[in-house]
Amino acid sequence: MTGPVQRLATTSRTLSLAWLALMALTGASAALGEWLEPGAAVQVLVAAILWAKGSLVARRFLESAAMHPFLRRVLAGFIAFSPAVIVLGALFPDALLRLATL
Amino acid sequence: MSPAALNWSPSAAPAAPGRVPGNKGIWVGICCEFVEFLVLFVVYFVARAHYPEAFREGAERLGSGFGLAITAVMVTSSYCLARSVASVRAGALRASRGWLLAALLVALGYPLTKLLEIHWNLAHGIDSGGGIFAATYYYLTINHMVHAGWGILGMLWVALRHLTGGYTAAEHDGLEALASYWHATDIIWLTIFPFFYVLV
Repeated sequence: MTGPVQRLATTSRTLSLAWLALMALTGASAALGEWLEPGAAVQVLVAAILWAKGSLVARRFLESAAMHPFLRRVLAGFIAFSPAVIVLGALFPDALLRLATL
Repeated sequence: MSPAALNWSPSAAPAAPGRVPGNKGIWVGICCEFVEFLVLFVVYFVARAHYPEAFREGAERLGSGFGLAITAVMVTSSYCLARSVASVRAGALRASRGWLLAALLVALGYPLTKLLEIHWNLAHGIDSGGGIFAATYYYLTINHMVHAGWGILGMLWVALRHLTGGYTAAEHDGLEALASYWHATDIIWLTIFPFFYVLV
């Protein structure tokens, strides 16, 4: 096996593992919503899974580690925003309601 | 395999410091897309904070299978595009074209699934006049489908270019720009999915 071909095989394996992880995390997220009683703990878990999935796409598919620092920060900020608000709403619903009121 | 392919180094190409995948233009578009959806996410969180019961009941009425199917479609087509980019970098042009066509084929499942979902929703009384939950749900998800539609059109154009020899191991910015846009659109969907199909 030549160098580039071997490297392509390694990259392909990494991408396939990322895809499998994304599918498994999606299934886990749906199962949490379906089978567990709604509550703060479930919302925090769903937020953690959401952050993990977004980070996986950014790191493995978009290769964010090699990106321009500005783009890397934009991606990281966008991916972290919604999970952070979900956690805030789960743990401190009154604080979120105050923030969401004009 | 072309000489360019033999000189290819995965650690050199993607890991160059300060790299802009594809081209700067597509990243201006992606940043605008992120800002647009951040505003919509804020609208979602504000509405949910004020009407938690409406969102709890609304999420229970939706068919979660549709959300799962769209997630599978987005993640899988994203994966196929990443494989297409990895293949073209290695000079494996035929494999790259195959993965790109696979991405396009899988991505077409999105509008099809959305159409079936809307039919199902209307049959179950979930229309745009169904209150704050339905309005937020339709506005966010249809907006995302429009963005995915642009991505599908982009895939058609890039596929045409790729099939006619437009990309090589040394020059494939267009393919990588499209892949970047689609991955960003995938990340947005991964955020929308729990909003309406998981969090009750």
